[in-house]
Amino acid sequence: MAPIKVLVTGGTGFVGTAIIKAFLSLPNPSQYAITALDINPPSPGTQSFSQVRYVRGNVLQREDLKKVFEEARPHVVVHTVGVYHTGPERYSLKGKGWETVFEVNVEGTRNVVDMSKEAGVRALVYTSSVTVLLDELDEDFRNADETWPTGRATTSYGRSKAIAEDLVLAANKPDFATCSLRPCVIFGPNDPATIPIIHGCIIKGETPFILGDNNNLQDYVYVGNVADAHVLAVRNLLNSCTAAGEAFFITNGEPVSARDICISIWKEFDHVPPFQITIPSGLAWWMGLGSEWWSWVSGTQGTFSRGVILDATKDRYVSISKAKRVLGYVPRVSLPDAFRISCQYFKQKFKDQERK
Amino acid sequence: MVRIGTVAYLATHPTQLRSIIQWKVWHTPVHERDESKECESLKRCFHFLQETSRSFAAVILELHPELLVPVTLFYVILRGLDTIEDDMTIPLEKKEPLLRNFDQILDQDGWTFTENGPNEKDRQLLVEFNVVIEEFKKLKPAYQTIIKDITKRMGNGMADYCSNAEHNEVGVNTIKDYELYCHHVAGIVGEGCTQLFVEGGLANPALLRRPELHESMGQLLQQVNIIRDVREDLDDKRRFYPREIWSKHVDTFEDLFKPENKEKALAVNSEMILNALQRADDCLYYLAGLKEQSVFNFCAIPQSMALATLELCFQNYDVYLKNVKITKGDACQLMTESTQNLQLVCEVFKRYTRKIHKRNNPNDPNFLKISIACGKIEQFVETIFPSQKAPIDAKKNPASAEEAERSRKEAEETKWDNIYMVIAVVLTISIITGLMLIAAWLAGARFDIAIHQFKEQLGNFLGSGGELRNATSTVAATPSSPGHSEL
Repeated sequence: MAPIKVLVTGGTGFVGTAIIKAFLSLPNPSQYAITALDINPPSPGTQSFSQVRYVRGNVLQREDLKKVFEEARPHVVVHTVGVYHTGPERYSLKGKGWETVFEVNVEGTRNVVDMSKEAGVRALVYTSSVTVLLDELDEDFRNADETWPTGRATTSYGRSKAIAEDLVLAANKPDFATCSLRPCVIFGPNDPATIPIIHGCIIKGETPFILGDNNNLQDYVYVGNVADAHVLAVRNLLNSCTAAGEAFFITNGEPVSARDICISIWKEFDHVPPFQITIPSGLAWWMGLGSEWWSWVSGTQGTFSRGVILDATKDRYVSISKAKRVLGYVPRVSLPDAFRISCQYFKQKFKDQERK
Repeated sequence: MVRIGTVAYLATHPTQLRSIIQWKVWHTPVHERDESKECESLKRCFHFLQETSRSFAAVILELHPELLVPVTLFYVILRGLDTIEDDMTIPLEKKEPLLRNFDQILDQDGWTFTENGPNEKDRQLLVEFNVVIEEFKKLKPAYQTIIKDITKRMGNGMADYCSNAEHNEVGVNTIKDYELYCHHVAGIVGEGCTQLFVEGGLANPALLRRPELHESMGQLLQQVNIIRDVREDLDDKRRFYPREIWSKHVDTFEDLFKPENKEKALAVNSEMILNALQRADDCLYYLAGLKEQSVFNFCAIPQSMALATLELCFQNYDVYLKNVKITKGDACQLMTESTQNLQLVCEVFKRYTRKIHKRNNPNDPNFLKISIACGKIEQFVETIFPSQKAPIDAKKNPASAEEAERSRKEAEETKWDNIYMVIAVVLTISIITGLMLIAAWLAGARFDIAIHQFKEQLGNFLGSGGELRNATSTVAATPSSPGHSEL
């Protein structure tokens, strides 16, 4: 049987790499022929695979895309390309950052969807984000499910992802099945944001401060589990097709308080906060506002803002029942194991950096 | 007899006292047994129930009449079995066949057992076991079958442990062994109770298709007992903490009790508690399958108590030193809360889960796992009683948006209805008052005098009030009131 041709956009990125690895770890990997499209070639230090064809291209250049699609003739597209900001820019509602996010996340997705339709692709799986719902920062979300309407997010990332997701799901047709996966905060070995940011608090001496009452639960997910979900979604769209036109939350299904996650990660790096100070969420909000004003007056960028406070002190967890039911998704690696694996990787990496 | 210590404690802990009073005053049993209709042998069975069980007797005695006798007999029969197993003065070769054939004893009219050691506290039950057998024979055959089956399996399980030399020497080895032990002494009881409830038509038959749920009910209760009684068990030369857990920290079980190993002992404690805590969501799920209030109470009270005990034991070194117990006040509060509905029991679970989470120690090896277990309970409660509702999306679902619009209008209408109602009441009262005043005036009432007197008294009152407030200038206060001079 001829292999199923899969095109993974963002194929050298954090999630893209994991998805390719998951395809290649299947019992019968030769069933799939994978092309990885990315704006960057595989960078040294990240994993690349000899069975995979790597192509350079930008999702914003329709000509680039056209060429890639004509060459690869994929049956399936997994679209993982997306950009986001961390730190204060995440909450900013204007400026260059805001435009880039919309351009890549919305226009990039529109281009990929258009090209897929033109090239006669059978199925497309889109890597959306839980933020399409959860980035309505003022709100708590307790065990929300996919029936909740999106489009109320207040960050550039959440809004752009929601628009792109609508584009993808609206394109779903019997001969072009699409679905959207909404992972929460992703971490893993080589993850570009979560663990480095939390690890960074140790050097900045920020570890003793607890924001809020520490009862609010949040979701995290291991990159390997996200990759599994993508493989399951691809197989579903090619077979039973019950996931067509649907969105799914993908988390580890283990909501915990953000503070406990931080402590567990610091512990992996042998750091225990020397003392603990609780800052009530009400007070923290005002401190965030003060800090934003100070940044504005002084023209510097602080790490603290109301957005950060709301991100840290609200309930933000969802239900993964639908993904379990429809896709057969099971978070294979539990949080404690996942953190151990990931931090082990970073420890080695930091050690190597020191040696250099 | 109330001890002085208790009085002093309650006097200084009013909330505890309040909980006790609340329970004693307001709790009315769902069902009460009717002693006038009971024959002597049944009365004797109830007597044994009350003698042998401190905690269970109360909940059993309030059970639905359909299940009252079957569950009572189920309990005393298992207690009889337990009394044989526990008694170290009975030689193994005698004990083993007794345990294995205990279900057949239930068919032997007049069977009694007098060979228990004199110190066995429940020996009298076996001395008069003939009354239990007599009552057992009167049960519906379906109930008899269930009770016999469980008795047989439990007796065999106990016999296996008694004859297992390793178990007696070193205690429980792996976590799997530990759970198997708990299955034999408690999980099976959960199964038997569930069968009785379903047979009696008081629980959802679907519960029988989810055996892991009643297994968890038994496991949680038994594991909590084992965690709490670790000191007492050590003194009695029994060890139920699995080696797999404690051997990560100490070389021998006895080392756990040495003061220099306090940290390690607490690490063992939290792993044991983690294991039990992971059963909590199953238990809530099980409770959701019960249809009848007295059955719900029967199951919910012990579970709430177990979770509260778990919280009390968590990171509490006293567990290794003495017998810890939840206070009477807390127990009464828990009983009040566990005899209403599932939502309240969920709140209890959530409250104690959060207390555990708060005391979770970052240095503990199972810190994150405990945190996850706590989160899982909260998420589960949220799945059965969502605290939020998805907002309606007008864009994607015009039908429900219309509905929302309609319900909004309805709410608006009710609001105006209420306002009209208030206006109507106020109007009616004013009209009636007015009519009465007019009637009084027509009859010659002197309102002018009444008003004068009223003013005078008001003035006096205000004046004297001023005096109190400003004692140094009483003279100045009087002329400052114009009402007086005009009079």
